[in-house]
Order: sequence, then structure tokens, then C-alpha cells
Amino acid sequence: MPYWYFDKKDIRNSPSFREGIDYETEQRYRREGARFIIDCGTKMDLGYNTMATGVVFFHRFYMYHSFKTFPRYVTASCCLFLAGKVEETPKKCKDVIKTARMLVDDKKFKTFGDDPREEVMTLERILLQTIKFDLQVDHPYSFLLKYAKSLKGDKTKLEKMLQMAWTFVNDSLCTTLCLQWEPEIIAVALMYLAGKLSKFEVVDWIGRNSKHLRWWEMFVEDMTMDLLEDICHQVLDLYSQSQQQASQQDSPPQTQPEPSTKPPPQSHLPPSKLKPDLVAPPHSAIPTLGAQYPQRVAPPPSGHYPNPYPAHPVPIPNIHPVHAVVPPGSQYYGHHRPPPAAGRPYYPPQ
Amino acid sequence: MYEYSADTIQSLNLDSLDLGDKKYDELCQIGCGAYGTVFKARDLQNKGNYVAMKKLRVKLNEDGIPMSTLREISILKQLDTFEHPNIVRFFDVIHQNILSDERYLTVYLIFEHVDQDLGSYMEKCPPPGLSASKVKELTRQMLKGVDFLHSHRIIHRDLKPQNLLITRAGGLKIADFGLAKTFDYDMMLTSVVVTLWYRAPEILLNLGYGTPVDIWSIGCVMAEMWRLVPLFCASTEVEQLKCIFRVIGTPSMNEWPENISLMWSSFEQYSKVAFSAIFMDCCSKANSLLESMLTFNPADRISAADALEHPYFKEKENEPL
Repeated sequence: MPYWYFDKKDIRNSPSFREGIDYETEQRYRREGARFIIDCGTKMDLGYNTMATGVVFFHRFYMYHSFKTFPRYVTASCCLFLAGKVEETPKKCKDVIKTARMLVDDKKFKTFGDDPREEVMTLERILLQTIKFDLQVDHPYSFLLKYAKSLKGDKTKLEKMLQMAWTFVNDSLCTTLCLQWEPEIIAVALMYLAGKLSKFEVVDWIGRNSKHLRWWEMFVEDMTMDLLEDICHQVLDLYSQSQQQASQQDSPPQTQPEPSTKPPPQSHLPPSKLKPDLVAPPHSAIPTLGAQYPQRVAPPPSGHYPNPYPAHPVPIPNIHPVHAVVPPGSQYYGHHRPPPAAGRPYYPPQ
Repeated sequence: MYEYSADTIQSLNLDSLDLGDKKYDELCQIGCGAYGTVFKARDLQNKGNYVAMKKLRVKLNEDGIPMSTLREISILKQLDTFEHPNIVRFFDVIHQNILSDERYLTVYLIFEHVDQDLGSYMEKCPPPGLSASKVKELTRQMLKGVDFLHSHRIIHRDLKPQNLLITRAGGLKIADFGLAKTFDYDMMLTSVVVTLWYRAPEILLNLGYGTPVDIWSIGCVMAEMWRLVPLFCASTEVEQLKCIFRVIGTPSMNEWPENISLMWSSFEQYSKVAFSAIFMDCCSKANSLLESMLTFNPADRISAADALEHPYFKEKENEPL
């Protein structure tokens, strides 16, 4: 079975790099592809899990193929199309293409060829072969909710931290972090970052024991500060890149609302430091700690083959009270999820 | 600046793509049924070990590969991460004719190859048949495997000696599960006769079904291990039901399900035969387990988890029968 985590040097030495695309350009292509998937998904009212799954497919795909062979917007559309089916939120191929058409300029849309639908359908088979039918992907979101539930402290502050961490996870999709680390690890690091920036110091948590110095030791063992910092920096680097890029003519503007027309970010990042809405989080993706939203109750477990067209939007995860939790992952097939396999390594082999 | 490829994906040369080398060398066909064709093959990248290749023709719909197929293959992959000892290992999935625009996609699922199934194992078994401890051990392993599947909400639907594999070490592994939805497409196209012998009454009566259907099949297989002949064998649904009622007794009118086309009155009234009379050399605990598995009403049938707690399995192996 394939192993989906890579060393940084493997990520640098990618098929695109071997075909002459430099590292920075590839990173930009990855960012643009990921962002396109999120924008497209948001327009189509898809849930955060579907979008994140599409993005992970996208990053994995380009570990085996080059951006020269496969134009990124076609691949991105295909990844979102497949993720829709996998996460039980299917969209018609022609609708994905219609949305894509609205988001990219004529020149880019030319890469879809004369028959865009057939192009995406053909790519679906290549994509499936490349990602080896490894369709079930976990995301940091569900871990953020799990961690937040165990932390003690001021509820408002905790909620702020969680929202900020959620935004960081959204934005982290534009990095190659999902190719480097398991979602549990990314969730710890970005929760830690959010705690720092929102000035919420976690001093106590449910299940704390004398051996624990830090809250995440309950969930992830042997997590070094170096690793933590490295992950945070990879996300923070995005914000400086996005500023640089704004001044670069090389990157054609995306057909998106200007930052000024965007709704104010839901997260509470210090505006002087960061541009949190590099990836504008869909509103439904922001978790809440209670009162603001009407309480949603977890949908009853569906039958063996649930209705493939569930009602939209995806329920808002609500982290209080415990019984109302809709862990994002539980939507998957309506099945109980197995716990992570025992002995699963937290670190990629050196 | 923008390095778009001039070609579209459809015009790509397949050979130029790194879609993996030839990895399996097909040897011979080892099975063919409603559930697809199975080949024995060599895994070229793994010391030439034998693998079982199951060939699937997936019908593409207007939105590509059906969700149900994606789901089922994905679940197979997920289940395999548990490496359950009583479930056949699933190694790989590959597919062909990627670039052709046919209406079918050929998918090969690569499974662990096991030489022998329970059917041939029983055939080869010299008189006086399987020992009591062997029957118990194999039944336990069947139940463990099925309990695992059920806990992941997978119903096998077609348990029978032919898809219960017996390893050289004497372990039992369940094969051929989890693709029910995918095969439903193909089933309509094939006219392969599917055996009814292990089918639960609710399937024969065309009622909805759930996990209890697998328990019924295990009961039939367990009985067959004792007797070395199938317990209920008929070639039509109605005959199969009659066969069943001759042993467990025709259900009373109250027990007969509502809203079904088959009338209760169309069946002869058989009274229940004491299991101890059929399985004479079988201990009373084994008979009691069999009875709770071969129960007409699926709601009253024992679950796999409960069956594993049955006194039959508590008793020491070498105790006299």
C-alpha cells in the first residue's frame, strides 16, 4: 500500500521539478490549485471536508505527475469532482466545469480542451490510478474539535482560538503539509499557533496527568518544538508569499472579489501581522462553541447505502454539548470510522 | 511563464505516463461466477508470490465511476488496514483502458491467494469427517470474521464454503465481500446461477435483509461441516424454503411476514425436527448454537458477537461430546 507522507527533499524533487519547473513556481501552482478547489467548492456549496479531500488528492497527484503534463485547473476540477463523490456530496461533472469556467480566465480555460467534460472524466481514471483508490482522507478539522473539547479555560477565548486554528487549517491546504504530516500533527501545531496568537495559554485540560507538560502530549507523543515551529512557519510563510505575489505581474489575478469586498474575516487574527483570509473560510466551516447557531443534532446513522444526495449544507459542527457533535469525519459513508491503526508511525521514515 | 501543455489529456500517449510498471503476471483462471472472474497471478514486484486477481467490469455512468464502486473499493482498503486474521488480505487495485472512452472500466482487485477453500477442504476430508474441535475452531473463525465485517456495517450476503478460504496453517479467511453494490450492475447482465443453499429465508422471500443473513449462512456451513453434505439444497426459492421448513418447521401464521407475495398457505405444515436428531454426534451446546443461528425470524437470530459468547465456545476442546 502506498505511503502518502514524504520528506521535504522528496517534495522538492517532484516530477514537475524534474521537468524543469522550479520549486517556487511549483509551490505557487499548488497554492493556486488548492485555492481554486476551495473557491470552486465554496461556490458549489460543498462542505469543508469535501474541499479538503479534493485538495489532498491534488497534492498527492502532483507527487507522481508534472504540472507540465497535467494543467492544474483541470486536475483541480477533477479532484473536486472526485472528492464530491467520495464524501457523499456529489456534483455533476458539468456543474463543476460550469463553476470552473466562472473562476478562470479564457486562457486557462483553454487547458480544458474542446470537450471539458470528457477531459475531466478521463482524468478521473488517471487520478484514481495515481492515488491508488486511497479515497478516505482524514483532515485536521476533526482533530481540532476533539482537542478543543478537552481544553479547559475561558470559553470565549477558547472559541476564538479554535476559530483561528480552523482558518489556519483552511490555509494550510495551500501548503504541502498534508504530504508531510498526519492530520493529527498538523492540528496540534496549528492549534498551538492559534493559542499563541490569540494569547490563550492552555494550562489545564481534561485527562491531564502528572506526566503531561503540554496538552497535546495526551494526543500525540514525542512532538518536538522544532517540528511544531516548522509546521507553523510553513503556514505563516503563506501570508508573506501572498503579499509578495500581489506585486508580481507573473500571477494573473484570480476572478475573485478583492479583499476589500470580502466579508470581514471570522477569525480574529491580529490584522497587522497576518492576512488570514488568504483562503476565505466558508462560513459554514467555522465551528462554534455553542449559542450562536441553532443546535444541530447528529444525523441518524444511515443505512448501508445512504442516500447519495444528502441535503445541503453540511451540518455545522457544534462542539457543545458532547452529544450534538458532528465530527466531520462521521459523514463519511455514514459508517463508523475505525480508529487509526495501532502502531501507525507519527513520523515519516527518515 | 505559463507552461501549459499543448495537448489535452485525451490525446496523451499512455506510454509516456508513469502509471506503474506491469506488476502482475496472469497465470490462470481460478474462478468465475456472478461475482466476477478471478485469476491466479504472480506478483512480479514481490518475489513472484501468488496473488488472486479479481477482474471487475465497472459500468461508467454519465458521471464517471459510480459512487458505490468508489465507496466499496475504498472500504475494502480501509478494512485491510486492520489485517484481521479471518479476512482475506487486499493488496492493490489497478485498472485498465484508462484513456479509452469505453462505457466500462476494467478494474483488477489484487487479493491474497489462498490455495484451498472450505468446499474442497471438506471434499478431501477423509471419513469420519472433521473432528468436533476442528468444526468448532472453524465456526469460531467464521464468526470472528463476520463479526468484524458487521461491526463495519458490511453484510457479506453470499457466505458459502467456496468463499471461505482455508490457509495452510488451518486458518479460515473470508473472501468475496464488500462489492455487492458494484456487482449489482453486472448481475443483471450475467446469467450465472447463484447457489441458494446458504440463503436466509428473508432473502428467499425477497424481504429486506441485514446482518442476520450472514449468520444464517454460517449456520448452514457449520451444519455442513458436521455432515459433509449441504443442509438445505434446492434449486428454486420455493423449494429451498420448503427444504428449510422441513427442518426448522413451517413458521406459524403469526410468524409469517406481512406484505409478501408468497402465501403462508402455499407451504405445507412441517413440524420442527429436533436438531439432536439430525446432528446426532453433535454435542448439545453445538445444537443449541445451530438452532439459534437457523432461526426463521432474523430479529430473533443470534448475532455474531453473541454467538462468540455462546457456551459452545466456552467448553474445553478435549471434553467428551
